[in-house]
Amino acid sequence: MHASPTSTQLQGRKTIGIVTFLVGCLLSSARLVHDAPNPRNPPGDIERRSDQRFAVLKTALPARGVVGYIGEPGIPALSDYYLAQYALAPVVIDHSTNHALVVGNFFPQSSPGALPPGLHLIRDFGGGVFLFSNNPFAEEDKR
Amino acid sequence: MSLTLSVVVCLACGFFLVRLGWSRLGQSFSEHWLVGSLTVGFGLGIFSVVFFLSVVLQETRVIAVDVAALALLMAGFFWRRVPQVPSAVGVRANDGIEPAWLRRLVIGAFVIALCAALYSGVMRTLAYPHGDGWDAFSIWNLHARFLFRGGSNWRDGFTTLLPWSHPDYPLLVPAAVAHFWTYLGYDSPLVPAAIGFLFTFSTAGVLFSSISILRGRTAALLGTTALLATPSFIELGTSQYADVPLSFFYLATIVLLCLHDDRAQDHVSPRAPGLLVLAGIATGFAAWTKNEGQLFLCAIVLARLCILARKRGRPHSRARTGAIFPLLIAIIPMLFLIAGFKHYIAPPGDLFSDLTTTLHKLLDPSRYWAITKWYFKGFFRFGRWWLIPGPVLLTGYYFAAGKEDDDATPQTGLRTSILALTITLAGYFIVYLITPYDIYWHLRFSLSRLFLQLWPSAIFVFFLLVKPTTVRDDLLRAPHPAKP
Repeated sequence: MHASPTSTQLQGRKTIGIVTFLVGCLLSSARLVHDAPNPRNPPGDIERRSDQRFAVLKTALPARGVVGYIGEPGIPALSDYYLAQYALAPVVIDHSTNHALVVGNFFPQSSPGALPPGLHLIRDFGGGVFLFSNNPFAEEDKR
Repeated sequence: MSLTLSVVVCLACGFFLVRLGWSRLGQSFSEHWLVGSLTVGFGLGIFSVVFFLSVVLQETRVIAVDVAALALLMAGFFWRRVPQVPSAVGVRANDGIEPAWLRRLVIGAFVIALCAALYSGVMRTLAYPHGDGWDAFSIWNLHARFLFRGGSNWRDGFTTLLPWSHPDYPLLVPAAVAHFWTYLGYDSPLVPAAIGFLFTFSTAGVLFSSISILRGRTAALLGTTALLATPSFIELGTSQYADVPLSFFYLATIVLLCLHDDRAQDHVSPRAPGLLVLAGIATGFAAWTKNEGQLFLCAIVLARLCILARKRGRPHSRARTGAIFPLLIAIIPMLFLIAGFKHYIAPPGDLFSDLTTTLHKLLDPSRYWAITKWYFKGFFRFGRWWLIPGPVLLTGYYFAAGKEDDDATPQTGLRTSILALTITLAGYFIVYLITPYDIYWHLRFSLSRLFLQLWPSAIFVFFLLVKPTTVRDDLLRAPHPAKP
């Protein structure tokens, strides 16, 4: 059976359509392979900045409840706060110092600098991680 | 051992739920592949619901609840099992009659795209075990940790003190993750990573098998190649966000609706209301995955009602009822679950401000213009394609292949799907109009993901609209030699 010229033209058009479609798709597949990260060199180390960083502090916190948080100022430091909450769940970390216990999260080898009044260092865990008490709120809690 | 047990229980729950709705399974590879792909998502959906109900009811014997749920599903399956009857769906004959070199090219390209996607997915899963991007750890995995680590105080995580973690977001993914962690006894990052990976490739599996059933193997290979060659789909899927799981349930809903209506359209084959029930369950799972899923749920119901009301031929009211009632019945339990979560556990969401501000934003033409521009730009960029955007490739292919005849498509299902996707897209537009956030910030960080949620469904609908990629149609149109 022979196809009519019309069907041959249609077939040719379809063939070109399929080939173009596939070439376009494979170009993007190439990008996918090219952009795949190297697992030995992870660019964003969430584990190091969260679970590892706060492992010791976690043992010093109550098993549940709400504690405060103080860290570096600015929007970029928000990810540090989120990672602290991620590591310390199920304890709720409120980004405020109005709590009896306050987690300090600063750059490694840096000191907390000028602290809000009422905060007293309980323990320095190293690497910029601190635990403070906030006296007025601690007394309020006791009452 | 415990991980293996949890995987077996999860998949068994999914399998028996799918087979409960799809009791008449045929012999074709595509049907079995579709059931297998749906099993993954439905299993994770059940796992999520069971775990959430267990923590709400403070039932600590989660494994016992799993066994009870599995026994119930198995009993239902064996009770409904009807051997030796026609399949619930009509499978198209294999269409591999185009030139052999072209067939080999299509298969080769699919294999390359699949290998590239698998390679990228594995590398990303290994490189980012806690997910890639803020939403993974600050929303989804954080909620999973509260559910798992919180014990009887799991509600602490859903507090107004953590508004940035969006405590009003539904819990399909976090609760499924926490369920596996309960079996393991610790919160391994492997679990959310594996779930993200599975949802990504199950979506591709649903797409492949459903197009294969309705349009043949070649169209299925092309459609799945288009999805697997969408870099941002693979990247987002392995980032441990909930957008790809949502896209899975969108696609599952639409596929099941179309399969049901395809069968119902020929007026000869027995109806398969079970597929409609499964479509309803998939819609409910979508609503339990993300807030956008609740918009999609409304869109599906509204679209179905509109299409059935306008259907040509004015079918009997009983037939109309049969085409929507099982869907609604299946949605209701999930609606109760979501309503309970939103009312009793989650604090109010952050998208809706006071009425005056909302009205002011709705009447601001500059916001419409900004969103329209972003929609237009985003349409070509959301997949992070290289050189040729996916929608351009599909459009070009449409002009080359032509439109499918109306008689060959499941019209009710297809129209419902197109209308539902359009309503969902319009709903996203309205959300941007009234967003309390800076509109450009909101568009920049979410629009691509919203388009990706709809992308697998859009590819599926596209391949129903376009002519199958064979020479069969042309040959049929050519003069036939007289039969002896």
